[in-house]
Amino acid sequence: MIYFIVFICGAIVMSYEILGSRVLAPNFGSSVFVWGSLISVFLAGLSAGYYFGGKVADIRASTRKLALIVLIPGIMFVSFPLYGYVISDWVFDMELGIRMSPLVASMILFFIPSVFLGMVSPYTVKLMMCSLHTSGATVGSLYALSTMGSIVGTLLTSFYLITIAGVQKLIMAQGIILIALTIPLFLMNASCAVENKKEQ
Amino acid sequence: MKISALKVLPLFFFISVSLLFMPAAHAIGTGGDLPRPKKLPPEIEDVIYEKNSLYQFIKITESKRRGERYIQNTNRMLKQGGVYINEPDKLLFEYTRLSFIGLAFLEQEPKDALFIGMGAGVMPRYFHKYYPDTNIDSVEIDPDVYDVAKKYFFYKDEKTMKVYIKDGRVFMKKSKKKYDIIFLDAYQGGHIPFHLTTREFFQVVKKRLKPGGVIVANILAEDRNRFYYSMMKTYKKEFPHLYMFEGFASDNYIFVTRVEDTKIDKFTVWQNASKLQDEKKFDIYLPEMSNAYSYYSEDDNKAEILTDDFAPVNLYKHMSAD
Repeated sequence: MIYFIVFICGAIVMSYEILGSRVLAPNFGSSVFVWGSLISVFLAGLSAGYYFGGKVADIRASTRKLALIVLIPGIMFVSFPLYGYVISDWVFDMELGIRMSPLVASMILFFIPSVFLGMVSPYTVKLMMCSLHTSGATVGSLYALSTMGSIVGTLLTSFYLITIAGVQKLIMAQGIILIALTIPLFLMNASCAVENKKEQ
Repeated sequence: MKISALKVLPLFFFISVSLLFMPAAHAIGTGGDLPRPKKLPPEIEDVIYEKNSLYQFIKITESKRRGERYIQNTNRMLKQGGVYINEPDKLLFEYTRLSFIGLAFLEQEPKDALFIGMGAGVMPRYFHKYYPDTNIDSVEIDPDVYDVAKKYFFYKDEKTMKVYIKDGRVFMKKSKKKYDIIFLDAYQGGHIPFHLTTREFFQVVKKRLKPGGVIVANILAEDRNRFYYSMMKTYKKEFPHLYMFEGFASDNYIFVTRVEDTKIDKFTVWQNASKLQDEKKFDIYLPEMSNAYSYYSEDDNKAEILTDDFAPVNLYKHMSAD
């Protein structure tokens, strides 16, 4: 289950990034500045997420808390139509220049969800790391899965999903998937500490 | 309850790989992003300039025998623009000639003209030759294309001819100026950037149009693909009438529209074109272009209207109409 979540979250981050370019294009065009801001905002979000995710994971990690981490971007995605284009238009009207406008818009729209999606990786590492003997393999396979998910998310979105539905619907669908993922996480209610006790 | 990581990994790997190939196989099967390269022309074209710009790979080639020079972006057979080296004021490409039929739809003398996507700058230059007093703004996203137009395609900034290095849509959204005629010819490789194909975009364009103004768009559609039908429907949604001029020797269609509700028939276009021809003495023969006139009346094709939310432009280019 945890592996599955890592995979899906990896896919959704990149899929959201591709869709993000579509959200920005009407106001900011498809210049290199748009792509540059988009990619750097996602990377900034992920790196902040990795950092804080690791910190949070050290405080009694449990799948219920992981469910919460996944739930927040889920809700943000589902409600995206309410604020997405509104914020984009608002930033456009501020007239910050061709470089700053897309950067600011990406910051507001994409930073927070990518922080939370970034948190998933270290958090799941903590949850899975019940034995120090296989820690290398555990971390390695989680990384591999997350990145594989990202590849699938990128290609599936840009090659296929964009032809079958609108950008807003796709983002909402991602939100629904994330919210759906929280249910088993919440019901599992597993944590490493518990499993360790059972083993003893 | 402990699942070994290594046991699950191959399964995920399998899933990802199979997922990957599904859409990929689809894309390759329908031709990928490039038109199949036709056989190289027998005569040799010399490459006189190459550059990786911010947006594309720009290549300028020349055929000494034909005395022609071309600009192409990305390394493919599709030529985006060109000139006769010894007669740079002539229009080499069919779609550039055909585009000027748009003038026959214009009631007033054009005082302000706008070109979105300048390419080699051949069209603004031609326009300027016959309308030296008209203010011509050209919008081009790629600064290197502008440089190349000046260096290799005889483009010169004039008092009435200006170039703005900007995204076409961003330019129009910010601009307060209104134009008599707007030419839409922005391409990225073989397709129009999606945000220049949507209903919302046309709403922006409308606001930049003077009363009686005309929009002329170059639509490249090989074999009348799904994109072509989507484009027609989208125009028709935003404008009361859509007139199309099909290229005879190329896959280009020139779409002409206006905001006004009166329909202009083929005969009127021919009449206006003849009058303009007498007046301006174009070196192209405008009345002849009116032969390609066709009027779009709604038919029941299944193509979707393109919006900012939904516009799979580059994918539609490789799909058939149904």
